[in-house]
Amino acid sequence: MAERNSSRRRQSNNENFMDYSLLFIVLFLLGFGLIMVYSTSSYEANLEWGDSAYYLKKQLFATILGLVAMIFVANIPYHFWERFAVIGYIVSVVLILLIIPFGRESHGAKRWLYIGPLSLQPAEVAKLCMILFLASMICTMGKQIRHRKGFWMVLLVPMPIALMLWRITQNLSSAIIVVGIAVLMLFVSCPDYKRFILLAVATLAGAVVVVFVVVQMAANQADSLDFRGARILAWLDPEAYASGKGFQTIQALYAIGSGGVLGKGLGQSMQKLGFLPEAQNDMIFSIICEELGLFGGFAVIIMFILLIWRCMVIANNAPDLFGALLVVGVLGHIAIQVILNIAVVTNTIPNTGISLPFISYGGSSVMFLLIETGLVLSVARGIRLKDL
Amino acid sequence: MTQETSHLHKTYHRSKTVTVMFLCLLVFAVLMGRLVYLMVFQSEYYTMRAKELHERERSIKAARGRIIDANGKVLADNKTVCTISVIHSQITDREEVIAVLCKELGLSEEYVRKRVEKYSSIEKIKSNVDKSIGDAIRSYDLDGVKVDEDYKRYYPYDSLGSKVLGFTGGDNQGIIGLEVIYEEYLQGEAGTILTVTDAKGVEVAEEGEERVEPVEGQDLYVSLDMNIQSYATQLAMQTMETKGADSVSILVMNPQNGEILAMVNVPEFNLNAPYTLPDTVDSDSLSEEKKQELLNGMWRNGCINDTYEPGSTFKIITAAAGLESGAVKPTDTFNCPGYIMVEDRRIRCHKVGGHGAEDFVQGTMNSCNPVFITVGMRIGVERYYSYFKQFGLLDRTGIDLPGEAGTIMHNVENIGPVELATISFGQSFQITPIQLAVTASSIVNGGRRVTPHFGVKVADADGSNSHVFSYPVRDNVVSEETSETMRYILEQVVAEGSGKNGAVEGYRVGGKTATSQTLPRGSGKYIASFLGFAPADNPQVLAVAIINNPQGTYYGGQIAAPVVRQLFENILPYLEKMDYNRT
Repeated sequence: MAERNSSRRRQSNNENFMDYSLLFIVLFLLGFGLIMVYSTSSYEANLEWGDSAYYLKKQLFATILGLVAMIFVANIPYHFWERFAVIGYIVSVVLILLIIPFGRESHGAKRWLYIGPLSLQPAEVAKLCMILFLASMICTMGKQIRHRKGFWMVLLVPMPIALMLWRITQNLSSAIIVVGIAVLMLFVSCPDYKRFILLAVATLAGAVVVVFVVVQMAANQADSLDFRGARILAWLDPEAYASGKGFQTIQALYAIGSGGVLGKGLGQSMQKLGFLPEAQNDMIFSIICEELGLFGGFAVIIMFILLIWRCMVIANNAPDLFGALLVVGVLGHIAIQVILNIAVVTNTIPNTGISLPFISYGGSSVMFLLIETGLVLSVARGIRLKDL
Repeated sequence: MTQETSHLHKTYHRSKTVTVMFLCLLVFAVLMGRLVYLMVFQSEYYTMRAKELHERERSIKAARGRIIDANGKVLADNKTVCTISVIHSQITDREEVIAVLCKELGLSEEYVRKRVEKYSSIEKIKSNVDKSIGDAIRSYDLDGVKVDEDYKRYYPYDSLGSKVLGFTGGDNQGIIGLEVIYEEYLQGEAGTILTVTDAKGVEVAEEGEERVEPVEGQDLYVSLDMNIQSYATQLAMQTMETKGADSVSILVMNPQNGEILAMVNVPEFNLNAPYTLPDTVDSDSLSEEKKQELLNGMWRNGCINDTYEPGSTFKIITAAAGLESGAVKPTDTFNCPGYIMVEDRRIRCHKVGGHGAEDFVQGTMNSCNPVFITVGMRIGVERYYSYFKQFGLLDRTGIDLPGEAGTIMHNVENIGPVELATISFGQSFQITPIQLAVTASSIVNGGRRVTPHFGVKVADADGSNSHVFSYPVRDNVVSEETSETMRYILEQVVAEGSGKNGAVEGYRVGGKTATSQTLPRGSGKYIASFLGFAPADNPQVLAVAIINNPQGTYYGGQIAAPVVRQLFENILPYLEKMDYNRT
């Protein structure tokens, strides 16, 4: 005990301790993201707004705001936030419900709330709040988590939020991410493996059945398919749906494929000239591949792997379970989003809208990701140097 | 709190966090593999597809090679016309574009709308539009409407030699005639303008445009002589009208080398409006199929596409075969009672009372059927058939025009005495006029079977890079001696015999007349024809005139021989002046 206290004291003396590796990786991704946002959006921004830096400016503003928030959060001991866990959950629910009367529609889905000039995606708030809430809840549960009841409790808690995100904001991807974060946090906090393997097998089997049913339905009666059913068909054969659901996928594949090993060079993308609509959003990775080639694509993936690795190191050295779970939640959030984004862009899975963390255009997303980074840094500050 | 549980907790959550890390690594590895597949192994495919998407290709027509006659007159030329296209993504006022194009181009709204509304990088609306109309459309300055200038085939002499020259289609490709056969030389290579565009079709300036210049087609020099062709056409028209005939064909060739100087088939059609049926046809009430059928009929070149029973002109071949085989000598005497019995059939001579006693030369001058039947019988089926083959009558002549018809002939096993008798005076089988002219040429030119042709050479517009065509010649079709005898006999036919209407004062002309009834017999329809050549001792020009279904007098000697005489009267002095003895 005494030893611990002394080390804490020593650490608190060293106010400026930071995980500089993590900070550098995030700053690099942000800088690279801004360059790519400018590269992908300038042509369309110039046509549409008469200002080629239109999207860059907005993104830069959100990034600066996010960095300020990150520094702020990083300097507050993370236990401070534990008391807001339940409130956060409630706030998430309220914000999502506010979408119904006040949401702004864009791209055929209501996902944004506007507060003055600022826009906010409740889904991003919900992801952060879910991490906080689950970390707090698992810590409170203690050993209960090992029992079946605890296991299902943790799985059920995110479900209302996930369902609301799916049905109200028409945002299946965010719902999947929320559930995915919960499963990962549960996996880490629970010593069991068997249940998770079963869960994974069941999910996979469910996916196969859905694909099979959709294909059968398409063979019988093509018109009765809804929006997502068509997406699955377009995934299987994008060229056959080139003018409809497969359009974005096909254009992304053209971009990736035409990049080749070394790419066309920064700024030289052809696909961003309107062929791939809103290339700065979810499909930005395909333009990265087109301009910077296979090496560029690999470099981005490797940066994310490093980021995840840093998160893992911090989680495993966190002073307590709450801190570790917070970091695991953030790690899960980033990992799931990166994996799903690249999988969608390369048509490895059916198309669903997921942005690439730190790189894709989107103010809410980058701000909340930076707040999450702040949390991780805050946890990292609690680490005793001896443990590293 | 319990440090132990906390520690225990930590141990497995650490290992599980590491598991999560490795799961992520595994998934990333799969995604990186996917990227390698897309960007290395599929790269070529996607690059090609993307390039197709980004580049807009406009072709630049190559100027088609001209067709030039023996005197250097241009028979087929090019004039500047416009191609009107629309670029879907650049159109700002769709309705106005449709309205203007309908009005200026005279197209149906449905047709134009379909093309204007089609989502494509560039869509052709109409080609071969007059330059004045193109300029008018350009003056509207409509967004998304492109007016590109290119060339259209133009025939300065309208209908002259129409069935020989042929015409070209909307993409300047040959449809019939020489335009088809010499397509590879005439067409040249189209060039392209490749422009890189963004998704809206706006050209991306810094990418520049890639321009592949067109290669002009080569000029085709033909043996056709427009002076002879136009005079022959006049003659044919005149004959057709005065005799009330269905059609008249005149073929003029050099029997020494196979060059064709004129090939007339009236009625001809206007090459500058090849899809317009004659005024006598009410083309509006016709179905598309029927109209196409009539057009095909209008474009047919009777001299090579159609076969007919040659009748008495074919006696030239029987005579040559008889002389060559030794079955007959010019001095052999015959007796014609007005008919001849072949097996149990009585085949009549055209002279009901008979020609009486006559030698072979006189028999030919009289065009006496019993004489030729007798000669045919003497030759015999086997030998006659082998001469038929040796003369090249079973093969096509190989003329450089499309669609030459083959000979319609009995199988050798099916030729009995009656068939042999009818073949001997040119009936019961069919050949093309060009086949007759070429076979007769080989018989009178010393036994060399030439290949009839128009094409002499091709060369670039400036005359460089020329390529002279050579054509196969088969020697010893008949002996020089037989050939000489034939020239003598045929000169006698014109000098004193049935072909005397073909005689030209001051020139030695040889020839043979024919009057054949068309199938079915008894229809009262005849084909009158005459084959003549001059000078008789050294033939430099050979002409065939065929009058199809004349009204009134239908004897070849009376109506076809004068046509060739008139032709010769005009072209023989002309050919001398032209120093035509180029061989």
